[in-house]
Parts: sequence; structure tokens; C-alpha cells
Amino acid sequence: MSKKIPAHEGTTGTRRQILGGFSLMALAAGAAATGAVGGVALTASSGPAMAAPSTKRRKMVFIQHQPHTVSTAWSEGLAEVFKVQGNIDYQLLDGQNKADVQISLMDTVINDKVAAIFLQPADSVALAPSVKKAARAGIPVITLNIDATAPHAAHIEMSHYLGAIEIAKAMGDKMGGQGKVVIINAPPGQTVRDARTNGFMEGLKRHHPGIKVIADQVADWDRKKAQDVFSTLLAANPDIGGVYGVNDSMALGAVDVAKTKGIIDKVVIFGNDGEKDALESIERGELAGTQFTDVFQQGRFAAAVATVLATGGVPATAFAEQGYLLMPYVIATKETVASIQPSQRW
Amino acid sequence: MTGAPLLRARGLGKTFGTLVALADASVEIRAGEVRSLVGANGAGKSTLIKILTGAIRPTTGEVEIGGEIVETGRPAEMLARGVACIYQHSNLAPAMSVLDNIFLGRQPTRGLGLLDRPRQRREAEALIARYEIDLDLDATVADLPTVKQKEVEIAKALSLDAKILLMDEPTAWLAHEEVANLFRTIRTLKRNGVGIVYISHILDEIFEVCDTVTVLRDGRVVADWNIADITRQQLLQKFIGERLAADAGAHARRSRSARGTGTVKLAVNHLGRKGLFEGIDFEVYAGEIFCITGLIGSKRTELVRSIFGADRFDSGTIVIDGTEVRPRNPADGIGRGVGFVPEDRHRDGLMLKMSVEQNLIMSALGDVTDWGLMRRSRIADMSRAAIADLNILPPEPHKEVAKLSGGNQQKVLIGKWLQIHPDILLLDEPTVGVDVGAKAEIYTILRKLKAEGRAILVVSSDMEEVMTIADRIMVMRSGRMVGIWDADAVTQQEIVAYVGGE
Amino acid sequence: MIRTARLPNRELIIVFVVTIAVFCWLSGSFRTTGNLENVLIGFSHTAILAVGQSLPLLLGGIDLSVGSIMALAGMAAFDAYIVLGLPGWIVLPGALVLATLAGAVNGVLIAKLKLQPFIATLATMAAYRGLTYAISGRQIWPEIATRPITDPLIVAFDDYVGHVPYAFFLLLIVFAVVQLLLGVTKFGRDLYTIGGNVEAARLCGINVDRAVIISYSISGLCAGFAALVLVSRMTTSTESLGIGIEMSAIAAAIIGGVSLQGGIGNVFGPVIGAFLLGVVLIGLNLVGIPTYAQPVLTGLILLGAVWYDRLLVQRRARAILAKQAANP
Repeated sequence: MSKKIPAHEGTTGTRRQILGGFSLMALAAGAAATGAVGGVALTASSGPAMAAPSTKRRKMVFIQHQPHTVSTAWSEGLAEVFKVQGNIDYQLLDGQNKADVQISLMDTVINDKVAAIFLQPADSVALAPSVKKAARAGIPVITLNIDATAPHAAHIEMSHYLGAIEIAKAMGDKMGGQGKVVIINAPPGQTVRDARTNGFMEGLKRHHPGIKVIADQVADWDRKKAQDVFSTLLAANPDIGGVYGVNDSMALGAVDVAKTKGIIDKVVIFGNDGEKDALESIERGELAGTQFTDVFQQGRFAAAVATVLATGGVPATAFAEQGYLLMPYVIATKETVASIQPSQRW
Repeated sequence: MTGAPLLRARGLGKTFGTLVALADASVEIRAGEVRSLVGANGAGKSTLIKILTGAIRPTTGEVEIGGEIVETGRPAEMLARGVACIYQHSNLAPAMSVLDNIFLGRQPTRGLGLLDRPRQRREAEALIARYEIDLDLDATVADLPTVKQKEVEIAKALSLDAKILLMDEPTAWLAHEEVANLFRTIRTLKRNGVGIVYISHILDEIFEVCDTVTVLRDGRVVADWNIADITRQQLLQKFIGERLAADAGAHARRSRSARGTGTVKLAVNHLGRKGLFEGIDFEVYAGEIFCITGLIGSKRTELVRSIFGADRFDSGTIVIDGTEVRPRNPADGIGRGVGFVPEDRHRDGLMLKMSVEQNLIMSALGDVTDWGLMRRSRIADMSRAAIADLNILPPEPHKEVAKLSGGNQQKVLIGKWLQIHPDILLLDEPTVGVDVGAKAEIYTILRKLKAEGRAILVVSSDMEEVMTIADRIMVMRSGRMVGIWDADAVTQQEIVAYVGGE
Repeated sequence: MIRTARLPNRELIIVFVVTIAVFCWLSGSFRTTGNLENVLIGFSHTAILAVGQSLPLLLGGIDLSVGSIMALAGMAAFDAYIVLGLPGWIVLPGALVLATLAGAVNGVLIAKLKLQPFIATLATMAAYRGLTYAISGRQIWPEIATRPITDPLIVAFDDYVGHVPYAFFLLLIVFAVVQLLLGVTKFGRDLYTIGGNVEAARLCGINVDRAVIISYSISGLCAGFAALVLVSRMTTSTESLGIGIEMSAIAAAIIGGVSLQGGIGNVFGPVIGAFLLGVVLIGLNLVGIPTYAQPVLTGLILLGAVWYDRLLVQRRARAILAKQAANP
């Protein structure tokens, strides 16, 4: 029996309707109570859907990659929903940017028979055996932004690939279809890196074949490291016209350097994720744009999915295919950034 | 008593650049002979020893062992030919057992590097039985008293089948009673035909345990005597020169002044510290040298540290200049004009890597600074004066202290404390590891301080030293005082008896 | 047998057992066979590193580079399998040889160039990490980074015999070999001698340089084993493998009674020390202590161990004084 979590359909169509996220949220929250998501009945083998919230206490954990604004916002979203549920003990665990630490944490929480695990893997391959182990133990794993290479209950992201295509188009438009671009990238081994890089390259090929990517360097998601990387790149190539920071931290690192060098008006810098600092930078006219999604909302979605699965007693072994839940997003630029509500900014 | 020659060194010379460390030195060591090697620091003793252990190669001359000329400058060769050295500083691994230390680096194996422990134990037991050394093979070396550690080193050397043992100041850190134990061991070795080279600054020991003596001065052998044929005065004259020798001998009695000026500077009443010492009563007068002697472990050092304020005390009182004081820390002591020269100058007293000048001014920085800023000229004046007063050699204020001889290091340490102009100076074993010449100079300094009306308290285990400098002598045993005597009214033998508790 | 080895680490074992008992009482999930598996597989590699680290520590040195050696060996294994397509029976020994050589370089720097162990291994810690990035196939071809290692030999350490993981058996072998080396060979005695008094060791003809090089090589080899255990579990390797793990290994060794001054210790204590740290980490997670409070508790354990060591030293010094006073 197929119990695929339905992806939010028509991503491209709704991507500019930020409020659409809220309606989806309402749907998911409702589903938590009724045992249905997106109209697909989740009839667990253990029994019929319950009419009232379960009083049984359950434990759920989020194993983050390392402390970062994105994971902090997810955790807030998760905690917000679980607080309302009243029957879930939620705990945030830190992976310290080390795959082996995350693996040990996975072992621990699997043994603790938690009801669901939220995971932002430090490495998509390295955590795959742990994800499989969780599946064998019947625990649903929900990955956030960074996928694991082993199949699991669900993966929730704003489409990294589609977003990056649009970023490439927007950047190229601002550059007038000409010039040199550098990518400040995430470390290899994380699916999000591949998706965003491939999407960006595809976008340039499709919309702006005249623009050349002259460098692709790793700055480990980090603002400081990105400053160093971009300074070095700039010294070798003073005529860089565009920068794609694969997350906002790294893009803002490039902004820092461009500001001190006085070339902020000449370089088109795009980030990804849409954190509060990035949006403010866009409003100030420094950062050209970013792919924004409401990360609080993403956490709430994840919480909703997990609650439904756990309450319904759906074991991880029941999934024939991994679910993908794509978050609605918007390419935030100076023109669109005002449409993002204060409560959505993280 | 002595047998065939084991080792003959002929015409040994060693120059370092333009410095002649050793010139034309010849020495012979026979089986069953204890040969004393004496000389002031810099006389060439250590160069000679280093040649004999193979640590350095002589510029001229040759060494013959068992009738064969040996290749010099190779430690392994010398060891193989049965020359072993027991250094002043321990060469044991403190955390390991006695058994392991005896065979340090040469544990018997069964091939493949596997230890043969039964054989190791058998050999060690045979060894200590043969030389009548009383050792617990399973004890950890760090847990042993110093004399036992020396015996482990001796056993280690003997396990190499050593025929010739070089002993560099083996008694420097031993208490009186322990020295007697060591001498017993040395006599057993003699009976077994071992030849021993014994280096010491303490004349008593030389006359007690040695058969022959080689005197070095300025890199040359100036005398080679049978001990039985000479007097102490002759020996002293030979190696420190006529003037100093006369000074050291006659001066002692002439300058005694028990109770000095008659003014009590420091009074200690019923002082006690739980588990260490109790019921200590004495006064030290201005213008006298008051010596406290006793065995190591009789808590002399602990007592003096409490008086200074480095440690606390539980009962009794300390009165300085008629006022009762309770020093809580060294700064209290210093503030009341009390100086303390500790026993272990390397650990507690000197910054070895710093210059003579920096060490000298360390306790008196307040006098050479204005508003916290160092005044170079005043520092230079101060160190120049101290170097001249104390005859610190070489008289170079910027020399690294580690490069000075032990005696001159000790002078720097005393000089450092004199800069605070103490009325009361406490010294703990002020001449350990110092050669006879420098000792005499330190005694001269102490007498000068006494003549200036300061109260001097010296803790010493060296009976000769006590009898030489003390005006009054207090003996301690196991944390209690045995008694106090005027130095004029007591003999060295009597004091030794009190110390030992007979 | 050996006084120096301070067997049998009685106090540490008591603390270890009490800690386990407390967590068993606090958490139902802690007292399960699943948790036993987790502790064994999660910290066997730390214990292997602690055993290796004990040798430099016994010499009075330290090896800060073990984490970087792990990354280097792990990346070499990744490249050899994923990029070059070599089989497991070549990849495994190859990675171990590389790790041993990296350790030997540490030893040569310390023995021959007379560098301080702290400085030498601090330098190679950075150098080996840099080298890991340089040889990383993942950096050159990011698309292969998401390809797992599937060679059955390489991933074997992630298997179990009953509840006991292969990695733990590897630890037992490493432990037994090093313990025998220290306990019954002349080389082991030489290490204690050098750590206790290096000058004495030289004077009695011990080849100090050789012993130093061999010790750091063994530490490197142990880092290689630890790397293979993790690679086997992750089915890949990362450039950041083993960052900061040297601190866990050193902490485990010190908790296990190995003196930073050298010359004192065994390798049984460090193994217990590593698992004590592991038990505490897992236990704290299970009882719901926030992640950020955990390093503080680990630090407190280390402080406690060092304080206790100091206490023993003082107590012994006092006993010697008392003995000397009693029979002069």
C-alpha cells in the first residue's frame, strides 16, 4: 500500500503567493487532528483514525547539522507546533558539524524509540546507514534541506534546483546577460550543494548563455570564510560581475567584501535561504536577491507531518517511496521583498 | 688492601677553543681502592669524569683499561669495559620499580623483545645479595628515600659488571645517617674489588671513606696522596690555596659571638604545627649565627618555612623585635624584614634562564622603580654593588644564572635576599652542592652580615659547616627540639650524638 | 606485575560503574542491549585513539594530529575506492600504511629535529588536514561525493556478532597488542624509562629516537584504524573527519590515569576513560540534558580526573615524608 506524502503541487504556480503557505499550514495542522493529509486517508494498520488528540506522550528529536539561523528557525517552528499539541516531548540535538557525532546521536535516539527524527545531515552519504537503521527500527526520519542518500519518510525543502534556476535568470537579467560569475559553495557531500549548483548552471545555460562561471569555491556555509574566499577571487579577477552564495551567510560575506572595496554597485550578489539579515541587506540595496522561504513554516510543516505519522502509528517500513514536500518560495529582490511579512522573517 | 690497577689514564688534556679545561692529567685506579677526586669548581674534575665515561674525547693522552688502550669518546665502549658513573642528579625512572631500574634499558629478554622477568629477578637478587645491598625489588623508586635511590643507582651500575664506579657528590642530598649507610655499601664494594672514584666537597667524608686522593687545580693534577699520609689542613691548602684555607680554619673560633649584641631579634615560643613539629622555643639575637641541625625529616625546613610565613603554624607565637606576629604569607615575612634563602635553589630560588642582574633585583623591585617604571641606572648600581660585595664570578650582571657554578648561583640567591635589607635572614642548607672554595666565601659573607648586627638563622645537615659558622646550635629530632648549645661548649661528636638520638 | 601501570585503575572503574548505574536508573532506554551496542560502536574508535595516544603521553609528549591523520587516511580510502576503484583488500592496508607513515613523520620531527611534541603535532595537525583537502576527490569532482562505498570488506566494521560490533573486537586486539607491548617487552620498559627520565634512558643506552618514532607511528596507526571504523559506518569519508577528536582521545587517556608528565599509565585506563566519556554523552542525551550543557560536563569530568591525580601525588609525597621521619 502506497503511503506517499504528497508534495505540494504546482510549486512554480504559487511561488509568488507567500500567503499560500499559510493555507497549507492550516491544512497540515488540521490533518494532525484528523489523521489526514492532503485528502489522502492515512489508515494505519493498528487501528482507525482517532477523533480526539492522543494523550500518549511521544518523544521527537531534531538533529541539526550545526548551529545556524536556518536550523534555529526550523527548531522554533517545530517547537511552536509541538507546544500546541501538548503530548510531544521535543528535543534539539547538535551534530557539531561532524558526521560521526550525528551518527552516534542517531544511534542514541533510535535506541530511545523516539516517535520521529528530524535530521539535517552533515553529509548525505555518511548519515545514510543511520537513516536505514532508523527505518529498520520503524522510526520515520524527516530530512530538512539536506537529503540523505538512503530512502526515508520525507524530505522537506524549497526546491533548491528550481530556485537556483530562477536565481540564475534574475542575476543574468541584472547583469545584462554578460560577464563573469563566481559561486561560493557549500562543502561537497551534501545534496543541497549539488541541487543548487546544478540548478544555477542550468539556469544560466537556459536563460543567459553569455555569462561564464569562472570559479566555484567552498566556504563551508560560513560568512567569515566566504569573505576570505571572495577577497582572494576578487584579487585574481577584478572584473567579477556576479556572485552566487549558495547560502545567505556566504553571500553576505561577499557583500561585506564588496562594500569595503567600494564595488557593491558593480557586483550582483545573490544568496539563498532568505534569512532576516539577507532581506534587510536587499532592502538596503546591497544584496541583489535570494531565494526566500518561510523557514518557521518549514519547521511547522515538518512537525505536522511527523505528528500525523506518529499519531497514526505509521511505521517507516510502510513507505514504498520517499515523500518530497516542496516549500513554496519566492525570489526576493528589491522589488518583491516588501511582500514578505514581518512574521515570516527569520 | 688495594689490588691490581684497573684503569690508567695518562697525560689527559682537553681544550675547548682557547680554554684549557684539563692539562696533562694522569690518574690510576686500582681494584678495591676508593680514590677521592677533589678540586674547586672549574678545576677540571667534571672534564676528567666526562672523559672517563666517554662523554667527551680528550685532546691529548690515553686511557688504558685492563692493560688495553681503549677508544675514548664512546660511552658504550666505556660501559662495556666496566666504567659506570653515578651522577649527582638521579638517573632513574621514578615511576618504575627498583627491579626495572636496576636493568634500565637492558632488561634481559627471551628474543623477540619479550621480557624474561624470572631471569631479571634472579639476577637482581644475586646482585644485591653479593654486594649486601638492602633493597626491596618491587618498591617504586619514587617512594624510596634518597639514599636508597643512590643504592639503586649503584646496583644498576654493578649489574653492568662495573669494575670502576665514578660517584659524583653522592652525598649531596643525603642526611647524616644516610651517609653512613652509603659508606657501608662503598666498603662492601671495596671488598669485592670494585675501584671507586669518589667526588666530594666534604672533607669529613674524604677522610672517612677514601684511600687515596687526587687534587686538581686549574686543570692540572697538583697532588696524588695516600689519605693516611696527610692532614686536612694540607688537603685544604692544596686545593683552595693558602689564604682561603687559613681563613676557613682559624677564623671560625676567633669570631664566635654567642647571643651577638644581646638584643633578641626573633623569638619563637612553643611553636607547633600538627603532624610536623611542636614545642619549639628559641631566640635569635642580633649579631649571631644560630644553626638548626638534625636529620632530613626532622622538620627543620618546615619550621623555618612557618617562621617565614610560607606555611602556617597551629600553636605558639612568633615575636619579632618584641612584637608578636602571625605571618600569613611570604609577603608578611618580607615586610617585617625577614629574608629566606630556600634549600633547592633551582626550584624555589632562582630564575635560571634570567640574568644575574634580573635575579638580584627580583625581591627589591620597589627600590628600583619610580611609579612602577624600572630605573635602569639604579638597577645597574644595585647589581654592580651586589656582585662586588658577594664576589660573584664572573662579575657580569647580564650573564645567565644557569651558566654560573653552584657556589656563585648560591651567592646570587643570597644577594637577591640582601637587597631587601633583612634584619633577620633565614638560610636553608646554604652550601649544598657548593665547592669548598665557594663555601668559605659564603661563610665570609655570613660573618660579615652578622658583624653588621643582623640575626642569621642557618639550617644545615653538614656538621663541619655547623661547627665552622655557628655561634649557637639547636638540634631537632622528629619535629621536636633536643636542645640548644653554645658552639664553644660542645664538640662535633657530641652534636652528632644528639642528632642521632643516642 | 608492573607497579608503574597503576593497575587496576580501581577508582576509575568505580566511577564508571556508578555512572552506568545512575543512567540505568534515570533512563529506561539506557538499560537496553541496543544502548550497549550504541556505546560499543559509537566509542570503540575513540578508545582505539586513546590507546594510541597513550604512547606519546607515556613518553611525556602528546599527539594532536590524530584527528587529521584520520581524515587523511579516510580520504585516501575514499579516493582509492571511489575514484581509483581499488578493491577493499588493497584500500584497507593502504590507508593503514599511510596513517602509520603520517605518525612516523611526527616521530621524526620530534626525535630528529628536536621539536616540542606539542608544536610538531600542532603543525602536522594543520598540514595533514590541508593535505586531506588537497587529495580529496570530493573537492575535485563534487558529484561523486554523494556516492557511497559499498565494498563489503571496507564496510565490515559496521557489522555485529550478537550485540558486539566488529569495531569493538578491533579495539580489543589493538588494546591487547599495545598492553603486551608495554607490559612484557623491553620496548615497553624503554618507553616508561624515557617518560620517567629521558636523560637516564639515554645514558643507559636506550635508543630514544627510535622509541619516539615507533610510538608516534603506533599512534598514527591507531588513528588509521579509527578512521576505517568511521568510514565503514559512514560508507564515505569527509574532509572534516575527526576534527577535535584528539581532545576526546587525550581526555580519555588522562581520565584513564596516563600522566601528562610521562612515565606513568597503562592502556586499560584510557579504554575505560573513552567509554566513560561515551556513556556520559549518551546518557545525558537520553535524560534530556540540553546539547550545549554537555561539553561543560565532559570538561568537569576531566577536571575531576586531573584533580584526583594531583591528590594522589600529594598523598604519596606526604607518605614518603612520613616514612623518612619514622625510620631515618
